[in-house]
Amino acid sequence: MSVIAGVEPEDLNALDDESFRLVVRRWIEANYPPELRNPPKRLHWEENNPWYFKLAEKGWLCPGWPREYGGLGLGPIKQIIFTEELERWGCARSNDHGIIMLGPLLIRYGSEEQKKHYLPKILSGEHVWCQGYSEPNSGSDLASLRTSAVLDGDEYVVNGQKIWTTLASDANWIFLLVRTDPTAKKQEGISFLLVDMNTPGITVRPIINLEMHDEFCEVFFDNVRVPKANLVGQLNKGWDMAKALLSFERIYLGSPRQSAYALTRLKQLAEKMGVFDDPSFAGTYAKLRTDFEDLKSLYGRYVEVLKRGQSLGADVSQLKIVQSELFQRITETMMAISAENAGLMEPMEGNRNLNPAGLYIQARPTTIYGGTSEIQRNIIAKNVLGLPG
Amino acid sequence: MSSAAGIAPYNEDQAESARMIRESAAGHASDIARIRALRFTTHGFAADAYREMAELGWIGLAVPEAAGGSGLGMIELVTLAEELGRGLVPEPIIPATLSALLLAEAGETELLGQLLAGEAVVLTAWQDRAGTLTPSLDAGATRRFIPMAAGATHFLVPTTAGLGVLPAAEADLVTEPTNDGGNLGTLRPGAYRSVGQANPGPALDKAALATAAYLLGGMEAAFAMTLAYLNTRQQFGKIIGTFQALQHKAVDVKVQIALTRASVEAAAAGIDNGATGDAASALVSRAKARASEASMTVGQMCVQLSGGIGYTDDYDVGLYLRKAMTLAPLFGGAALHRARFMKLSPETEDA
Repeated sequence: MSVIAGVEPEDLNALDDESFRLVVRRWIEANYPPELRNPPKRLHWEENNPWYFKLAEKGWLCPGWPREYGGLGLGPIKQIIFTEELERWGCARSNDHGIIMLGPLLIRYGSEEQKKHYLPKILSGEHVWCQGYSEPNSGSDLASLRTSAVLDGDEYVVNGQKIWTTLASDANWIFLLVRTDPTAKKQEGISFLLVDMNTPGITVRPIINLEMHDEFCEVFFDNVRVPKANLVGQLNKGWDMAKALLSFERIYLGSPRQSAYALTRLKQLAEKMGVFDDPSFAGTYAKLRTDFEDLKSLYGRYVEVLKRGQSLGADVSQLKIVQSELFQRITETMMAISAENAGLMEPMEGNRNLNPAGLYIQARPTTIYGGTSEIQRNIIAKNVLGLPG
Repeated sequence: MSSAAGIAPYNEDQAESARMIRESAAGHASDIARIRALRFTTHGFAADAYREMAELGWIGLAVPEAAGGSGLGMIELVTLAEELGRGLVPEPIIPATLSALLLAEAGETELLGQLLAGEAVVLTAWQDRAGTLTPSLDAGATRRFIPMAAGATHFLVPTTAGLGVLPAAEADLVTEPTNDGGNLGTLRPGAYRSVGQANPGPALDKAALATAAYLLGGMEAAFAMTLAYLNTRQQFGKIIGTFQALQHKAVDVKVQIALTRASVEAAAAGIDNGATGDAASALVSRAKARASEASMTVGQMCVQLSGGIGYTDDYDVGLYLRKAMTLAPLFGGAALHRARFMKLSPETEDA
């Protein structure tokens, strides 16, 4: 194990996978703020930023970004290991829309100026991003969105409303899909715009969700003036870029991290409730466990596609279906074995690892956000299976 | 309302009294703004509403007339409970009914009178651990998972020495908030005043069955909201209810509700028609297992079918899911009741 001591981030890709795992594990255990372990709800920026800055300082904030942009340039298997280790330790998910969504999009479609300006500010935490896609009447049918941007001199004037904007109240920047050509076919009149949340005319209103948490927001735009230079890519080509980003999103949402976290908590809960001796539970647990391993194998294949520089096909939707539905089944099992404890709002005995109701509720929207399970099945039926309709 | 599952398993007289109870209850139990305002408050329910419900005879519905109740059957009780569930009524009418049945059996009259009048909130502290259907009779055992315990005036504790009463003012009680905005209590042993003998088993079965019916009412209400949403929300230029993927999910919800109603009403009619002992318990177990599991499935599916709005606290569908999360395991969850059903039920049950 002497190879592990004193290893520098530059060497991470050179390590074999198990050594890499131990390096990551050791560093997380030594550096993760203990009070932030296993947060019962998604943390706000002011709560989670100590960890964000710690990762940034170490250079580990963006494991998937290429090194030239400040990422770790990790290979796909190591990215999975990295994620597994974060989940294992119960690390909070940070305000990561810049890291997961916008960064990869800018790296692919942004101008050199945009990359130079925005990427370092994600790495430093100066810009905290949120994603403005969904609208009240444009959820599953996202392409019908109506928030408009009209060019007036050197500025776009934005009017409309976004909804389900995760942690918008924490963000100081938002990336938006806006309608720039109302006369074109719905997918062909959409552009991608970067907007400073401090611009006059923006109002953020948190929505209390089923978790009794203000994670999602409505964002209103009333004659918001945005510099023309904040357009990413070509005018009216925003939909194609967003679609490319949605495949990033689907592979992220399809990553086994939520199921990994839940499965570990199910095990702890099952030990607490003493149900491992129950053959019926043992059977259920074995099924969940093998489903999880199969999910990891499936995930690995998609990561391999990315590793080869190929783009993901429509079939990546199945990954999101499998992950979200497995996450839900794990938490449903947690509820079933908890008996009356399932009724309690707070973790059992103050132990955040024993939080059946909290995790059960958290699992509910995963088959809704990022494209519902029904929409993902439609995509596969139409674009993969070639079924008519 | 017609029973879509066919003919209800009870006679015309019962149908008529059930109809009257349904109408009366619906009129008093359909104020969602009131329910929202009471969530996560100290008691989780309103003492004045509780008293009003007692005055309507709801706590004494199934208590024998000789003991001051209405002497009605389980059909009437499940009808009432269904309406309570439809309206998400937080007042602990079912736990109070359990206490009333036990006090009546023990021959206690004074506290029972106060309970039936809504002047006392008497809650039965019967279980000493999670996941059991067997009441503890150990006077030295801590009692757990007492629904709405924060608002109790008295606790009723079955022991080997008989039914013990403990005024809440003397109780060493800790409460924890529940998903539905109520609370569950943990009661440490106290100096109980014995008020006579009662066998908790049959009364617990009635409370379990009434809870199943409460969950049934909640399923019906959540499904009605969801159907309305499927009939109005538009995406891709169409009413989303035209999409077959959603139609089939809605039908699956409908089937679960039909099975729950059939099972709950069969159990109620069975007991009203003379089923006792193991036969009654098997019927109750089948109904509660179905209701506990279906209420979670139905709640989940109604949230899913409602999309993003279904995951907001402002939208009532979520209230039903959170209620199911709390009530499904009370008086025994699905697995526990299925196991008891298999133990009690002869293979020829449906001969």
